[in-house]
Amino acid sequence: MQELVLIQPGGMARGESVGDVVEADGRREFEERLAECGSLAYRVARGVLRNTADAEDVAQEALLRAYRNFDRLRDRNRFRGWLVRIAFRLAIDRMRSRKRREERDTVWSQPEHRPPAATAEDLAASSEFQVHLDNALAELPEKLRLVLLLAAMEGHTIEEIAALVGISTGTVKSRIFYARKQLAEKLRCHSNTIKTR
Amino acid sequence: MPFEHYKDALIEAAATGAEPRGELRTHLEVCDSCLAVFTEEQALFASIDAGLQATVNAQIPPSLLPRVRSRLDEAGAPGRSWVTNGFVLASAAVVIVALFAGRALLQTNVGHGPVETTVKTSVPPQVTPPPQKQNSVGVPPVEKNHIPPRQFAIAKNRPAPGTLVSGRTEPEVLVPLDQEILLAEYAAQWNLRKRGPLVAQDSDTTIMALLQVAPIQIDELGVKLLAEEKEQ
Repeated sequence: MQELVLIQPGGMARGESVGDVVEADGRREFEERLAECGSLAYRVARGVLRNTADAEDVAQEALLRAYRNFDRLRDRNRFRGWLVRIAFRLAIDRMRSRKRREERDTVWSQPEHRPPAATAEDLAASSEFQVHLDNALAELPEKLRLVLLLAAMEGHTIEEIAALVGISTGTVKSRIFYARKQLAEKLRCHSNTIKTR
Repeated sequence: MPFEHYKDALIEAAATGAEPRGELRTHLEVCDSCLAVFTEEQALFASIDAGLQATVNAQIPPSLLPRVRSRLDEAGAPGRSWVTNGFVLASAAVVIVALFAGRALLQTNVGHGPVETTVKTSVPPQVTPPPQKQNSVGVPPVEKNHIPPRQFAIAKNRPAPGTLVSGRTEPEVLVPLDQEILLAEYAAQWNLRKRGPLVAQDSDTTIMALLQVAPIQIDELGVKLLAEEKEQ
């Protein structure tokens, strides 16, 4: 008859428990992905919000949320797409709440239209066309906007965007085409106005 | 009008970034106005692309990753979200409630049990003889066959420390060794639907006689007057 032996987990090296080891492994793995994908989350948020401070907050929140739910991600190879969706969704929510806040402030104080607080970097990068582009971009449907932002990021091919978003390459191409076309329709008059000055 | 005819084709060609081919290319070679429009459209899409790239490829703030790491330190282990913590807390609460409920149920059963009540009321400790005397008297112990199963059981010995208690379902009562016989007899009486006081009546009279106290002998009081004491 086989003898049963009671195994206690307290006998691990240096007094470490199984939970500690698992936690350390999870943290290490996430640290590697953080260094790799931290910029991606920031850039997605920056593309939606067009504001450095807000984009940093949103990227931070997205990375923290991804860390909290890291064990639920079964396929770790999909981390980038997963993080992109989290950052994009958080950025959209932030932008909507910012718009509501601006509308509320406008109703109460009746100020002239003021853009969100911008840093020196934002001011340096902005121009009149850029402002119109940002506004036109904000009016794009979310599906088109996400694909267009990913396509504008350095180093993203059509295949990579398809893998990130979870759609076919043909859908990526058509979304990019329609997004650019809609932007062009909205910016054409501004482009002519700027050009004639 | 040639421009209206080629307008959509020009815009689509500029949007895709591809060079115009076929009839459109031929037309652009001969129509300067359409060529100018096509060049403007190409410039517009180039501006859009440049603006988008400037927006999304901005420099990452150097404070981003350190701030994220410090917040990760505060957050603790990955995956321990409020849902997981809530599940753990709910499980712990269920276990605690079950523990208290089981304990309360056990106490309720013991508190209403006839055995314990009888031991406290009908068998006072003064009446009980010492165990050696009881053995010498030779009160016959009640046989186990007289006790119906699953009604009463008397634990003669405490379990040794560290040993597991058996999984018997009938109630067990721990009693001092000298009360074991009386209690077993009472249990038999109880199972025969007799009442508790009968146990005391049916118990051995010799045990009762040994504990009877003789009446106190008081001498007659001699009363002396104070005057007589003074004379003496």
